[in-house]
Amino acid sequence: MSATKTDSGTTAPGASRPLDGVRVIDVGNFLAGPYAGTIMAEFGAEVIKIEHPQGGDPMRRYGTTTARADATLKWLSESRNKKSVTCDLRQPEGVALLLKLVTKADVLIENFRPEAMESWGLGWEVLRAANPRLVMLRVTGYGQTGPYRRRAGFAHIAQAFGGLNYLAGFPGETPVLPGTVPLGDYVASLFGAIGTLIALRHAEQTGRGQIVDVGIYEAIFRILEEIAAAYGLHGVVREREGSGSFVACPHGHFRTRDDRWIAIACTTDKMFERLAAAMGRPELASAELYGDQRKRLAARETVDAIVTDWVASLERQTILDRCLEMEVPAGKVNSIADIFEDEHFRARDNLLSLAAEGLGEVVVPGVVPRLSKTPGRVTHLGPTLGDATLAVLTGLLQLNAADIAALRGKKII
Amino acid sequence: MTASANNTQDERLPLKGIRVIDIATVIAAPYCATLLGEFGADVLKLEHPEGGDALRRFGTPSKRGDTLTWLSESRNKRSMTIDLRTAEGAEVFKSMIAKVDVLCENFRTGTLERWNLGWDVLREINPRLVMLRVTGFGQTGPYKDRPGFARVAHAMGGIAYLAGMPKGTPVTPGSTTLGDYMTGLYGCFGVLMALRHRDLTGEGQFIDAALYESIFRCTEELAPAYGMFGTVRERQGSSHNDFAVPHGHFSTRDGKWVAISCATDMLFARLAQAMGRPDLAAPHTYGEQEQRLAHRHDVNEIVRDWCGSLTREEVLQRCYATDTPAGPLNNIADIFGDRQFHARRNMVAIDAPDTGEQIIVPTPVPRLSETPGSIRSLGPRLGEHTEEILRELLGMSDVEIAELRARKAI
Repeated sequence: MSATKTDSGTTAPGASRPLDGVRVIDVGNFLAGPYAGTIMAEFGAEVIKIEHPQGGDPMRRYGTTTARADATLKWLSESRNKKSVTCDLRQPEGVALLLKLVTKADVLIENFRPEAMESWGLGWEVLRAANPRLVMLRVTGYGQTGPYRRRAGFAHIAQAFGGLNYLAGFPGETPVLPGTVPLGDYVASLFGAIGTLIALRHAEQTGRGQIVDVGIYEAIFRILEEIAAAYGLHGVVREREGSGSFVACPHGHFRTRDDRWIAIACTTDKMFERLAAAMGRPELASAELYGDQRKRLAARETVDAIVTDWVASLERQTILDRCLEMEVPAGKVNSIADIFEDEHFRARDNLLSLAAEGLGEVVVPGVVPRLSKTPGRVTHLGPTLGDATLAVLTGLLQLNAADIAALRGKKII
Repeated sequence: MTASANNTQDERLPLKGIRVIDIATVIAAPYCATLLGEFGADVLKLEHPEGGDALRRFGTPSKRGDTLTWLSESRNKRSMTIDLRTAEGAEVFKSMIAKVDVLCENFRTGTLERWNLGWDVLREINPRLVMLRVTGFGQTGPYKDRPGFARVAHAMGGIAYLAGMPKGTPVTPGSTTLGDYMTGLYGCFGVLMALRHRDLTGEGQFIDAALYESIFRCTEELAPAYGMFGTVRERQGSSHNDFAVPHGHFSTRDGKWVAISCATDMLFARLAQAMGRPDLAAPHTYGEQEQRLAHRHDVNEIVRDWCGSLTREEVLQRCYATDTPAGPLNNIADIFGDRQFHARRNMVAIDAPDTGEQIIVPTPVPRLSETPGSIRSLGPRLGEHTEEILRELLGMSDVEIAELRARKAI
């Protein structure tokens, strides 16, 4: 186990954090949207997760289960630093309660289908009337507008729709998942967090809040460099490129003698020259042979075969050492087991180990990015359902014991 | 698709007044500056006089020579040439640093320090500066001096290992620049927080962003599952069935592909109905996730056969009719024909100055209701704004500028 045993990651618990004093209400489920709350919480925002009293966020049950029925590993890791408050938004008294919370918040995060919030009496006009400075982050598969806005959109569907999944896999073969990770949820949430911070800045300067609207599909589409421009201008449809790249060679994954994989990326002629030297075959980088990227791309199969044979003749560590010695961009294709053993992950505190109630230590990814003066930290893992209901209702909303008992009796909270 | 850059919203741009210097190259740190520029920051792209940013040569060239990626991703920026390795260039740079809010860089660790332009020097000049430093492996740790590219970061961060057919060659996770963009996003998130802190306290700071970390941070429960159970997640091809079945890609009769994702029993019941086989969702067949997980091959086979018997459009219409989460695996030609992309104006065609070409580029994400981002110009020509910037920011005279040119500092 290489994880850092700490509750804070990189800093003393007392250090100031850049989002101290920002209060976020997160009524979303799963990751797309709520992850924006997660990273804001790492940097000091108070994030109050609103969950249905019966069972709460379905992410509590999605993923690898633990000895606790209310917490998968995914929940524990990605609901870090949040507080849980139960509240049934489908009942009028739950709606009233949420509106009270909204008056005391800076940000509201939601990811229901468009018009669900409206149907419960929690549309933008109502929320803005309750709090004109509110920033509302809305993340859905297809965004708040357009003909598909009401369609069910999960990360894998939206990633496929946005054009990423078509590109993963070998040419002419089955498109594979680009890594069995809900990338779209993360990418959409990152865009959402950026939009939220920009909107918060505007709200603090002008007193006017606004909506940040993110479709998962467009978050993915936005990061596909020039594929739109190239199709628009030349009709080029980018296809799957396997383990390689269309713009550089050699640039891909190669199998080593001990049946592991390394990545080599020779983006420029200079990099290829270094690789040729690492291979003990400097002549390959001559002008007559493959010194020029255009020549390498034209003779891609030959060049890839030479590299494939060389890599297959040596163990992973040997290949890596030779590449690094010559400063060739190369690295192990890490499994999670490799990552746990890696000295660099350890040195950068990329794995944190925190106690979870009833489960012992759980290892989770540390905070990204790393700020020099006001670093983020992980204070606790995903909360138990309703762990902060009483504290928030009495502390923030000044409800008394009788009010709370009545709400509990009606199963509002 | 609209036909021109959007000039109408300038007054409402929320980052108006923020000035950014981008001395970085390719996509990762520059994309942070691009995002800030879309929302109104004045982004000064500083480039080496010989050739400038390598992104100008990365991808498909336009008639002007600069690639399409350059034109799209250097939107809204102004270009100035400067050679930081000359004494005069370094001095000009330092004078500029005194007048900006943000600096984005992605040189190898220690490079700026070697030129005597490291954080300690720059902070001295401008204590309010926010500096984004992007590298493959970060500013610290044993690998900090290694050259880092996104492909290596995908491999190091654990996502390349997970993409591909089981036991087959790990493939590129859809795009070779994924890690660059994700690091631009994390970097921008960090910059905005650091600006907030600076506005409150007057204190600047630097952000240390590593490509591999942006990838690793997004691997959901990969680390906790290995830590607790020793589970090593492997490549799973076109379906990810650890937690849900069916959940993956299926080919249709017309040789196209759809994604279907039934994370819950309710969603599977909808799919069964779309297939005209409500019996499949009965409690004694495959109504429960546990049963579907236990019989994933059978269930996937049934869904595969059904998809293979219909065209993509037929499969999707039936799924949409019962609200089953499904969608096409769009290629870029599909995207250009799609109503949703048009309705959301996800693309805009902009006339490239000088070339007569219309460049279609993605519009800003995310969408802000009161203060939306905008594209005011495509990527500039190398050094297009050198003199304008030197005059405006440093009040230089023609003589001083000519001097710098003579010394090849700009």
